Amino acid sequence: MPETIKWLGSEAPTEVRIEGYQEIKNVKDAPDVEYYVPGHRTCAGCGPALAYRLTALASGKNTIFAGPTGCMYVANTSYLCGPWAVPWIHTQITNGGAVISGIEASYKAMIRKKKYDGEFPNIICFAGDGGSADIGLQALSGCMYRGHDVLFICYDNESYANTGIQTSPMTPYGAHTTFTPPGPVVPEGKKTFPKDLLKMVAAGHPAVKYLATASIAYPVDLMNKVRKALAHKGPTFMHIHAPCPKGWAFESSKTLDIGKLAVDTGMWTLYEIVNGQVKVNYAPRRRKPVAEYVQAQGRFGHLTPEMTERLQAFVDSKLAELGLLVPIPAV
Amino acid sequence: MGKQVRVSGCKAVAEAVKAANVDVIASYPIRPYTGTMVELARMVAEGELDAEFVHAEGEHAQLSVVLGASAAGARVFTGSAGVGVTYAFEVYSPTSGEFHPVQCMIANRTLDPPGDFGSEHTEAMATRDQGWIMGWAASPQEAYDNTLIYYRLGEDPRVMLPQFPCQDGYFVSHISGPVELADPGQVKEFLPEFRPARALDPRRPVIMGPQCHADQGAAIELGRAEAMRNAREIIPQVYDEFARIFGRRYDPFLEEYKTDDAEVVFFGQGAHTVPARLAADRLRAQGLKVGVVQLRFMRPFPTDAVAERLARFKVVGIIENSNSFGSAFDAGPLTAEVHASLYYAENRPQILTFLAGLGGENIRLGAYGEMARAMHAAAQAGRVGDGAGHVGEGAGRVGGGKHVFWLGFEPLGDAGVEHVAASEDGDGGSDGEGGGW
Ligand SMILES: Cc1ncc(C[n+]2csc(CCOP(=O)(O)OP(=O)(O)O)c2C)c(N)n1
Ligand code: SF4
Ligand SMILES: [Mg+2]
Repeated sequence: MPETIKWLGSEAPTEVRIEGYQEIKNVKDAPDVEYYVPGHRTCAGCGPALAYRLTALASGKNTIFAGPTGCMYVANTSYLCGPWAVPWIHTQITNGGAVISGIEASYKAMIRKKKYDGEFPNIICFAGDGGSADIGLQALSGCMYRGHDVLFICYDNESYANTGIQTSPMTPYGAHTTFTPPGPVVPEGKKTFPKDLLKMVAAGHPAVKYLATASIAYPVDLMNKVRKALAHKGPTFMHIHAPCPKGWAFESSKTLDIGKLAVDTGMWTLYEIVNGQVKVNYAPRRRKPVAEYVQAQGRFGHLTPEMTERLQAFVDSKLAELGLLVPIPAV
Repeated sequence: MGKQVRVSGCKAVAEAVKAANVDVIASYPIRPYTGTMVELARMVAEGELDAEFVHAEGEHAQLSVVLGASAAGARVFTGSAGVGVTYAFEVYSPTSGEFHPVQCMIANRTLDPPGDFGSEHTEAMATRDQGWIMGWAASPQEAYDNTLIYYRLGEDPRVMLPQFPCQDGYFVSHISGPVELADPGQVKEFLPEFRPARALDPRRPVIMGPQCHADQGAAIELGRAEAMRNAREIIPQVYDEFARIFGRRYDPFLEEYKTDDAEVVFFGQGAHTVPARLAADRLRAQGLKVGVVQLRFMRPFPTDAVAERLARFKVVGIIENSNSFGSAFDAGPLTAEVHASLYYAENRPQILTFLAGLGGENIRLGAYGEMARAMHAAAQAGRVGDGAGHVGEGAGRVGGGKHVFWLGFEPLGDAGVEHVAASEDGDGGSDGEGGGW
């Protein structure tokens, strides 16, 4: 398995350099000042809430968050208050990318015109998969294209969760959502395969030099990626896998296990794209079959072996693209 | 005194935006407002104006960019027209509801259909209930002044509301007129630097636009309603200040032209009030006592001023340049608001509505003559109070007479003829002078 591979036809790979960020060596080394604090009503075991907490730990005090409508808005701010110890602004589910563009433009102008004497802040949009890959895609694309110095994070709970778990373009094939109920006419529930959001952002937005996937099950990796993204001047993008016990139908104590299983089965991969070069961060030695992931979640409860095979084939093709197609050991 | 130039409404606004030293601008092209952005892009490129110029990917993004920038503490500007205005609709309420005093000019354009490039107020009027300050300029000078006045009003800590300074497409946006540009000292005095009490500043964290529980919602709505009411109260002071500093005095709510002895008046906003004045002059030469009343603000609507000042006329003829299909009287929002404002007035004029200039059609000078004659005939004939306009008589009819007309499609004479006939029958009331008005 190659450490880095050439991808997306990028020519003469430039050296990958993301400097000036303070690396977190291990969990104990993580900062102990929290900027996403208790006092919200997300579900027990909520993956996105953990992603928020880790992101805020990594980004620190000089940060502004924008939060498009979704669970991380509604469940966090239900009673006119919110769990952030840094500035936070609600955006529509549609326009997170545009609102952070404006915040960034404002700071650029105000610092230049001496109306603001603080340091240029970290500006982060923390959007759901709906607010990133679907109804928010236009604003995300506009923001990444224009080259604003911001970080756009898609926390991916693989559904429109806040409205009661409906399918989004990130919902996996075969998942039961309230808009894709399996039935005799549609036995698999969700019929289509998800978009590849990171690839879309990477391939179509030359201003974006740093992109990364992450998972709440790998917190140190996640926090370091946030720091790298913020250290880079210019638009950066992260796609964070964030299991949702309510929407995926698993025990709320199992969020990290499900996150790990996703990586071990190849349903999720951890990698970065820096200056057009892909760097895989973690490749499981022994890949587990997708069936194991499927069996652990109620949303796939109706899948037949054939359907699970289709999902496996899809995962294999994605892994092949990353040069990660290691064989699954026989059980 | 500032420099005198001749510029279009679009360019006038760009000049005012520069004078206001705006920090962030968000662009997207759509006629007929584009000229403002073209001019601003040039100013930024040539270093005349130090601002971030963001090429938004659509109007929805334009409004979102300026919302974010305003929340972070910048003075911001954007603009649109026609379908662009409706495309951005989602963002209007969050902008006013979270008290971001952004400015979005509108150079009016028809929606689709009819999909022509003509000017019509419908697209702007469609946004009138979103908590934005809104009004029309009738000339490039007014467009210039409104930009400064609206920033001042919108950024007042008691208001903090976004603003739609509107101008009729082409009639104002594309026709040059004399404009006196302010000198920087004047602007500084009139429009202090934007320093919002709360902004997205990591040194003083705030949470903006959190969700609330249903029983917390009404208070938030009340806050926005109060801000709008405050705006109505403050407007006269802002205009006084403006007159003191710039030497141009406007009536803050209702600009009147030749109304001292007028029996009938045209009532409208924006560009169409200009030919109405010319028409009034000519009609006066023919012995018709015609005046013009120009409404400055659609939001906040000056209910008291309308009720008090329109009451002295016999007939008010509304030039209704937007549609509200199926609304009261099957006319437009202006018709509904004027009627509503006059409901409690002791003396109520007759109100005729002329749906005019829709689809961007030019209202010819001759048409003003026809409208004025119809108003005059109505003045001769009847008055409200003679069983007129009672519920049950059918919407759109006063005293049994039709009073809403699609200009060019329905004979205006009808209003007069029916009323005159009624008057000859002896049941139409006053013949004018001293008849209980
Ligand atoms: C324009 C618009 N359409 C629909 C909605 C309803 N809505 C509220 S939250 C939500 C789900 C958001 O999904 P996602 O972005 O994935 O975030 P999640 O709730 O899953 O965290 C939707 C569709 C909305 N708020 N705005
Ligand atoms: S539904 Fe899912 S994403 Fe939403 S709060 Fe619950 S666990 Fe978190
Ligand atoms: Mg989601």
